[in-house]
Amino acid sequence: MPSELELQISPIVQESLVHNTRTLVNLQSLTASLFGVSAGILGLESYSGFLYYLIFSLITSALFYVVRVAPTSIASEKPPLDTSRYFRGPVEFWTGGLMNGLAGFILTWTLFYGLVSA
Amino acid sequence: MAQVPVQTIHRDPQLFYWILFPITIVMILTGILRHYATVLMASAPKKLDQKTTREQRSLLHGMQVRSSFHALSKRSFNSRRDALITAYESGAYLKDPERKGQPPANPMTDPSSMEGMMGMMKNQMAMIIPNTLIMSWINAFFSGYVIMKLPFPLTIKFKSMLQAGVATKDMDPRWMSSISWYFLCIFGLQSVFNFILGNDNAASQMAQQMGQMGPQTAQMFGPGVDPNKQFLAEAENIAVVDHYSVLDGVEDRLLEGIRV
Repeated sequence: MPSELELQISPIVQESLVHNTRTLVNLQSLTASLFGVSAGILGLESYSGFLYYLIFSLITSALFYVVRVAPTSIASEKPPLDTSRYFRGPVEFWTGGLMNGLAGFILTWTLFYGLVSA
Repeated sequence: MAQVPVQTIHRDPQLFYWILFPITIVMILTGILRHYATVLMASAPKKLDQKTTREQRSLLHGMQVRSSFHALSKRSFNSRRDALITAYESGAYLKDPERKGQPPANPMTDPSSMEGMMGMMKNQMAMIIPNTLIMSWINAFFSGYVIMKLPFPLTIKFKSMLQAGVATKDMDPRWMSSISWYFLCIFGLQSVFNFILGNDNAASQMAQQMGQMGPQTAQMFGPGVDPNKQFLAEAENIAVVDHYSVLDGVEDRLLEGIRV
């Protein structure tokens, strides 16, 4: 945790942080709906469906890290898998999407499961 | 343990076209309508007269000086502090200085505060009216149908919620009626609205409820707050700031940085 003086010397711009988080949330809620579509078409039920969602949203986070965060983050000498250059905390980055997209996932999952297996 | 046979219910495929899709489309369109209604009804911020603006801005100025004192040098911070404290304590920035000691006016009688309440009322209405209408519409036309099956099992407690209007005792709680599809839509359509309307939309009532809990900043200059007390408190806050500048010792840090 940087001290108060360090934060004042190199301040964090709240607007940029909000923008980054918002981009991530947008991506996660959109992909969650698409995962719901695919889970419904595949006809997954109960645990396998939730597991599918868990795995694929973690893959999404990982891809987001590799494609968007990693190039500049590693170039600025951060250790791998460290998102502190762009995001507030690691928990928010890696698992925040699970809660954001869950409602959308369940909606489209139910819809396409109903449509396909009816 | 005997396997419980999976319940199958033969449903008319037409149910999808006449119940599921209408509800979904109506929900999406209502969200879009609510978004644009909120945008259109948003009243432009009222023009404040010069005295009120000065009162609010000078208080904000004091807060800014207090919170970013580290960007100022010692001398300029001290002169700002002296000027602000003198002005705050003498009440130079007050809107009407002769009302200094009196209790604040009743917020109910102040016409400017009524407008803020009207704005809140409008937002509430924009939420409540469509919800009530759609609920009663679904109840009137679509109650009593079982339209689909959830892909995950639920406990028996959910039965009364999901199968409202379908009083069948032995049916698996996974079967859901049209009203529960409506509830799923309320919770899950936020991502669809994000996609259609962009991120700051006012389409989902969930987001609006979150927003009402969030910002308390509007309260700062709200009715019923005595500005003189705010000024005195702010003067005290500025007076106790222990000043240092980020430029203190910057030459040492620079030399540290370029050392080979």
